[in-house]
Amino acid sequence: MADQYISIRNLKFLLFEHFNLTDINRLENFKDYDQESFEMALAAAKEIGDQHLFPHYQIMDKEKAYFKDGEVITHEKLIEGINAIAEGGWIGAAFPYDDGGQQMPLGLLTACQFIFHSANANISCYPFLTQGAANLIRTFGSDDLKNSYLEKMMSGEWQGTMALTEPQAGSSLSDLTSSATPTDQGHYLIEGQKIYISGGDYKDVDNVVHLLLARIKGAPAGTKGISLFVVPKHRNVNGEYISNDVTTAGIYGKMGQKGYVAAHLMLGEKEDCHGYLVGEPNNGLRYMFQMMNEARIATGLVAAGNTSAAYYAALQYANERPQGRKPGQKGTTDPVLIIEHADVRRMLLYQKAVMEGSIALLLYCSNLGDLEMYGEGAEKARAHQLFELLTPIAKSYPSEAGTHAVSYAMQCLGGAGYTDDFPVEQYYRDIRINSIYEGTTTIHGLDLLGRKVMMHGGTAFKFLIEEIQVTAKKAADHPALASNTSDLIAVAKSLHEVTIHLGKLASTESPEVFLSDATLYLDYFSLLVISWQLLGQAITASAALKNDSSETDQAFYESKLITADYFFEYELPKSRALHKRLISENRITLNLKNHHLQ
Amino acid sequence: MKLLVCISKTPDTTAKIAFTNGDTEFNEEGVQFIMNPYDEWYALVRALELKEAAGGSVTIINVGTSANDAVIRKGLAIGADDAVRIDADPKSSYFVAKQIAAYAADKEFDVVLTGKETIDFNGSEVGGMIAEALDMPFISYATHLEMDGNVAKITRDIEGGAEVAEVSTPFTLSASKGLAEQRIPNMKGIMMSKRKPLNVVAPVEISDPSKVVGYTLPDAKESVKLVDPENMTELVRLLHEEAKVI
Ligand SMILES: Cc1cc2nc3c(=O)[nH]c(=O)nc-3n(C[C@H](O)[C@H](O)[C@H](O)COP(=O)(O)OP(=O)(O)OC[C@H]3O[C@@H](n4cnc5c(N)ncnc54)[C@H](O)[C@@H]3O)c2cc1C
Repeated sequence: MADQYISIRNLKFLLFEHFNLTDINRLENFKDYDQESFEMALAAAKEIGDQHLFPHYQIMDKEKAYFKDGEVITHEKLIEGINAIAEGGWIGAAFPYDDGGQQMPLGLLTACQFIFHSANANISCYPFLTQGAANLIRTFGSDDLKNSYLEKMMSGEWQGTMALTEPQAGSSLSDLTSSATPTDQGHYLIEGQKIYISGGDYKDVDNVVHLLLARIKGAPAGTKGISLFVVPKHRNVNGEYISNDVTTAGIYGKMGQKGYVAAHLMLGEKEDCHGYLVGEPNNGLRYMFQMMNEARIATGLVAAGNTSAAYYAALQYANERPQGRKPGQKGTTDPVLIIEHADVRRMLLYQKAVMEGSIALLLYCSNLGDLEMYGEGAEKARAHQLFELLTPIAKSYPSEAGTHAVSYAMQCLGGAGYTDDFPVEQYYRDIRINSIYEGTTTIHGLDLLGRKVMMHGGTAFKFLIEEIQVTAKKAADHPALASNTSDLIAVAKSLHEVTIHLGKLASTESPEVFLSDATLYLDYFSLLVISWQLLGQAITASAALKNDSSETDQAFYESKLITADYFFEYELPKSRALHKRLISENRITLNLKNHHLQ
Repeated sequence: MKLLVCISKTPDTTAKIAFTNGDTEFNEEGVQFIMNPYDEWYALVRALELKEAAGGSVTIINVGTSANDAVIRKGLAIGADDAVRIDADPKSSYFVAKQIAAYAADKEFDVVLTGKETIDFNGSEVGGMIAEALDMPFISYATHLEMDGNVAKITRDIEGGAEVAEVSTPFTLSASKGLAEQRIPNMKGIMMSKRKPLNVVAPVEISDPSKVVGYTLPDAKESVKLVDPENMTELVRLLHEEAKVI
């Protein structure tokens, strides 16, 4: 097992030196959050990570969750970890004081959850789901629902889920068919099945509360006829909890995340599954978007956490493993440590850049979330649009590039990386799902190009370009960053041109042509955004280097400059190939016939 | 029950240890400090449990400068009701014990708890000296404590076994592993901690009879020798000739 899974130094750099996130306490809602509260929260999260999460990461994979005699059995350390997070008050940490929360800024919560996910996402994902589900009830539910569910969920006694997917409705939620029949007693009778429901059932928890999408009998087809329901596993009848006719048909055998169950649920087989409507009928998908957006950021965060932990495992190995000699060295000399080899360094730098670019973007987005929720006027509106625009990137880039980064971590370990003597093969299996759930990368590409960059007449995109220009302006004080800065501006300009070009295709050719390479567009966009995030950090580090700092700090700041430089030299140029493809008129994927792929 | 828990700070276990001032002082520059684990995990948590069972209050006390406030806040976040910091450089165990005793003398604490030692200087002295100065019984190395009214039954570690002692309040004890289970501060505690009182009081005049003459670091560890698993003869030779263990 590696010793380290996260760099607290890097988190503090981002929170305090770079983004200055403590500044959020200028907003009334966050006035209690000073630097000391930030530091104490981080320290408490790290203690939970060190003691209750990280030590159990590998064992939860080796002794995976299983289904037996109708029950889902999870590793004993799972509930211990969930309890540690719940007792720490993390499930409702961002909720208002009046709802039993601590009004924690999302910027800080994201930093702390990054610690949890890096330590062991096979545990930390459960309370995260409960947080999102509870937040839906809190925001849109009736007082009755709030009184019945919130306390038990926030204490971690009850698990929350998001139950959307059905066998015929995965990426396309408009096709879901689970039904809800009104009764004259206020509740609905739910029927249908849900698949792949994370945290959907396990024995060690008293109740599971599904936030479930279904269609009220007679509702319109498509997304406009979807409603949101609370469907508990056990329902309260005069103070006693009885089965609510939600049956677990089994859990899925999966490539990774073997401690984090995904269940197949049958609802209303005995026509006795009660569902309680949340908010207004037919508004379910709109409500659910609150949880989906939270989950998208969380998915990026889980991926970034996996990348972080795998990186530190690879780094430790590279610092300990002697092998081979440098080109030009005699075979009779002692072997060098593999960290000396240029290509191992390249792979390590890739991982470091992906992880540091991703977590920076996720913290940036979380801060936008705080501003959109509690800010005012133009700042609020701008934050809202930027947050919407960047969400597909914050979800997809850490997932896609993170998978590649963890593959590089494995490569750094050579054969040892492929064996289960080291945790990297598990990180590799665990991270892969993040590009699939919470909307596949394809779906996020479509969302970005088809909706987000075009929305409000392209203002969100304009805001982003302005933000990039602000960063470029700051870079002007740092001559060493001049070349990277002009590359960034050039790529921003090219991306803008491509966006206009593609936008025209929607009318001159067809929507299908317009969106056919949306995933590549997402890649292009991501390269720009991550470069921007890394350049910003390099500017802060470059400024810090002008002051007196300790040897360790100096090395840290230098590493920021090198990481940005690496990304601009090795990754950003890939945007040129993407550019070429995106303006090409060769419609290969649209013109071929299915039989050409036989 | 009125409980006083003495807490001190100690370098994080990853800190690089160096000395200054002619090797008579620990060099604190760049060192990250934490609360001494024996104070935090055992003394403080057991005190909180006693308060939760019988009511009363838990005060934490520290002798140190404002640099210690973060450590003190953590104690408040874990659950102490209020804190006192005696604003002075904690020069020696004698000085610290005398300061705490001077503060506690007229406050009628039922139990004063300390950790069995700090994990930096490992003196194990402060608890005993406080007890002496306050004229209280002292029980060291407590691993278990049950209260029945004002009588405490305390199990303490002794060489090769355990001793069970009974003592009535007021008394002082030093806490060992086992006395309680660590609590990690929760978010509510963290946010509340800033609203709890941290009273800074001036030190009393004390003439300290002891003085540190010098510190030295242990010898550097010898480097590791890797032996090819095929080459058992070499391993045996090294164990015999160099390590001299066989
Ligand atoms: C381990 C795990 C946990 C999960 N947890 C949950 C959960 O807690 N709650 C929940 O509700 N769901 C959950 N899911 C479901 C998950 O969100 C879906 O699997 C995902 O949205 C993809 O849907 P699908 O599997 O039906 O794939 P499909 O939608 O069939 O997609 C197959 C492929 O087709 C592509 N595709 C689909 N539609 C289009 C399109 N319009 N244009 C271009 N390409 C398209 C996709 O990108 C993908 O590459 C989980 C899944 C897994 C595996």
